[in-house]
Amino acid sequence: MAAIVLETSTATPVWAAYKSGEGMFDEMLDLANSERNGCQPTAKALFSMPPDWFAEISGRAQQMFRRMGVTFNVYGGADGVERIFPFDPIPRVIDADTWATLEAGLIQRVRALNMFVGDVYGEGNILADGIVPRDLVLGCPQFRRAAVGIKPPLGNFITVAGIDLVRGADGRFYVLEDNARTPSGVSYVIENRLVMTRLMPDLMRSCRVRSVERYPADLLQCLIEQAPGAKSNPTIALLTPGPYNSAFFEHVFLSQQMGIELVEGQDLVCADHKLYMKTVHGLRQVDVLYRRIDDDFADPLVFRSDSVLGVAGLTSVLRAGNATIANGLGTGIADDKAIYAFTPAMIRYYLSEEPILPIVETYLLGDRDVREEVLANLGRYVIKPTGASGGYGVVIGPKASEQELAKVRELIIADPSAFIAQPVIQLSMHPTIIANGSKSGTQIGTQTGAQIVPRHIDFRPFVLLGAKPRVLAGGLTRVALREGSLIVNSSQGGGSKDTWVLEA
Amino acid sequence: MLRRIAGHLYWAARNLERAEWRARLVDVNYHLLIETPPRGSEPWSPLLAIFGERETFASRYATADEDSVLNFFVLDLENPNSIRNCIINARNNMLSLRHYISSELWIELNTLYLDARGWTSGLFSSPGVFAFFSELRDNFYQLSGILQTTIPRDLAYDFIQIGMMLERAEDVARMLDVKYHFLLPKLEDVGGPVDLLQWAAVLRSASGLEAYRKRHGNSIELKKVVGILLFDASFPRSARFSLDQLAVSLKRIAVERAESGAESQTSSQSQTQSSSQSCTTSPAHFTALSQLDASLKNDRSLQVLKAGLHQFLLEIQDGCAAIGDEVFARYLRSD
Repeated sequence: MAAIVLETSTATPVWAAYKSGEGMFDEMLDLANSERNGCQPTAKALFSMPPDWFAEISGRAQQMFRRMGVTFNVYGGADGVERIFPFDPIPRVIDADTWATLEAGLIQRVRALNMFVGDVYGEGNILADGIVPRDLVLGCPQFRRAAVGIKPPLGNFITVAGIDLVRGADGRFYVLEDNARTPSGVSYVIENRLVMTRLMPDLMRSCRVRSVERYPADLLQCLIEQAPGAKSNPTIALLTPGPYNSAFFEHVFLSQQMGIELVEGQDLVCADHKLYMKTVHGLRQVDVLYRRIDDDFADPLVFRSDSVLGVAGLTSVLRAGNATIANGLGTGIADDKAIYAFTPAMIRYYLSEEPILPIVETYLLGDRDVREEVLANLGRYVIKPTGASGGYGVVIGPKASEQELAKVRELIIADPSAFIAQPVIQLSMHPTIIANGSKSGTQIGTQTGAQIVPRHIDFRPFVLLGAKPRVLAGGLTRVALREGSLIVNSSQGGGSKDTWVLEA
Repeated sequence: MLRRIAGHLYWAARNLERAEWRARLVDVNYHLLIETPPRGSEPWSPLLAIFGERETFASRYATADEDSVLNFFVLDLENPNSIRNCIINARNNMLSLRHYISSELWIELNTLYLDARGWTSGLFSSPGVFAFFSELRDNFYQLSGILQTTIPRDLAYDFIQIGMMLERAEDVARMLDVKYHFLLPKLEDVGGPVDLLQWAAVLRSASGLEAYRKRHGNSIELKKVVGILLFDASFPRSARFSLDQLAVSLKRIAVERAESGAESQTSSQSQTQSSSQSCTTSPAHFTALSQLDASLKNDRSLQVLKAGLHQFLLEIQDGCAAIGDEVFARYLRSD
């Protein structure tokens, strides 16, 4: 499986220099050499493309994204904060069998996470039975006392989940982390696909790629199904923090695709335990709010009082059962990096099933023996702060400098339960186009020419829970554009690829 | 539709219309100066006066020469009303409401925005002022074509129309005012033969020269110029025409509000109702609109010229501002 060299007779020169990493899983080459999965046609077609083609399609893709305004905002920048999410046109292919297993595993996982949240804010059985330590949950920064006793219709706290998966050196998919609050990235999945259908229509047709177009309709359906009192024609709105949020493009995109209002906190008002939006003709009641702001900002009466992004009184509206929000308050306990260690146990507890998707071995540093073992070999582990997301604060032992290790050691000793340690997972690699002479490969034009190099990737599929679970047949494949980098987050130099799930 | 969104649509349209007028005026003035050597020492200062920006300009530039004025009107990011800023503002207004407009309109506007962000003064030498402005004009035509052919005739369209038509009526009055002031300083010239070329340029700024000739023939008379730009209901850049369009949109919104009576009933019971929302006695009636409508009813250009065109043009501009205030109070204010 490692370091496969291409047969030079069939590959064009741009591929001849390609060499995947020693001891790592190369998604395209390893799968192209395997007989039974159906990934070969794509690989073969790509191997035979003329060298200039890669630079050309990269350039065209960039231009399309720019014109469409498919951008994300970077925090902390003043002008020119809108950036294009770098896009690599070489698609990542997942065969039908692999997908079937992933899909079953994802549904199983999100169902259990959702039951966990409902249980914690309801009966608390899993805590009483000692399956997940009560202290860990109640002490979790994402635990929201205000959510206790809220009973969403259908019992769903989680409507949208993005589960981050990585493929290890053994070719297996592992769950790296869960996103059960306001996961983002799905708009890029859909826009990437739109661009790909224009870049390589023939290849897509011949490979029989499953469509991702249905996602907004599915999401809308899930939201409708959760309207209070099973209202048949509910008013639904998407709550955004506004144009300066990093995912603002996605908020616009989804509200456009679903045909619902995109509201900001200033557009909403609560009265008589009901939620309204301010329209040109007066107030109009909102039944379901798909919110893309954090709990902390949702209701200044209950959470951060300095927030102007949310709407005062929202919590009491929810408590009265006069509106539904998705995702519900307090779902952060389901994607906490320490509670993650207990997710296999949750699946067994709630569903009496064995977990289909494995998780990465996780060490909670609150335990003294574990902590000492990890601190003694800090250079071998990945250290993650339990409270952060977006890849911020992650220290990868083998790649960290002495100073970085010393600093994280200090932080761990000061507040051990704020960190977890995991063994380093060698993320799988994928052929990726970068500009000649570039290390990060974001600006590719036909003048510069391009080369194809292996880069680490991960995968974020999206799971929806309404009256039934729905999984988007695809997901966001993120690629770490910097050589050797394992951090794929867009805020830190990551790009994306289209993910092709093949028809069975 | 949300009040905030309606406001964004209104302002996006105003900004676009403003940018277009500016582009027209700068272009026409530029070419006029090539054909007729300037009489005064500062041939660009009338243009600054049209927009009421002489002070802003003077505080930042030494002389009103061609380069400075082009820079000020087109590129200057410090000038809140430069063409570039108008385009940036329009695009940023639209950014929050992409779901209300067509993707075609968004992509066109976003492309223009990206171009405008990259403009440099080098463009005036290559491809040159003419090429620059004709491309810009084409861009505006494309935008308005896409707008007319892709936006459903609903609230979104109506708020766009209101912003655009208010700006248009105001801009045509303003343009006429300054041209009148600068071109005809002497009262005895009123109604007499005028500087043909200058008034032809005024008409051309409004794309009205050809329409004028078709209707009135070759001889250009001030009375008829005023007639076509202010009172002519058939000419798409006249104040009268703009006002008619405005009235259509306002009426449609008022009808919709009346039909959505059930909803305002619910909302007026709530305490958070603002006073402007609850006063719904006569939804179709806009005082400022009726007043302006009456003054533009019949072609009174000769009468107006005799009584003082400047005064009349000020009335139009004030009328537009008052309509804007009423629209704001009734539909856009969100407190």
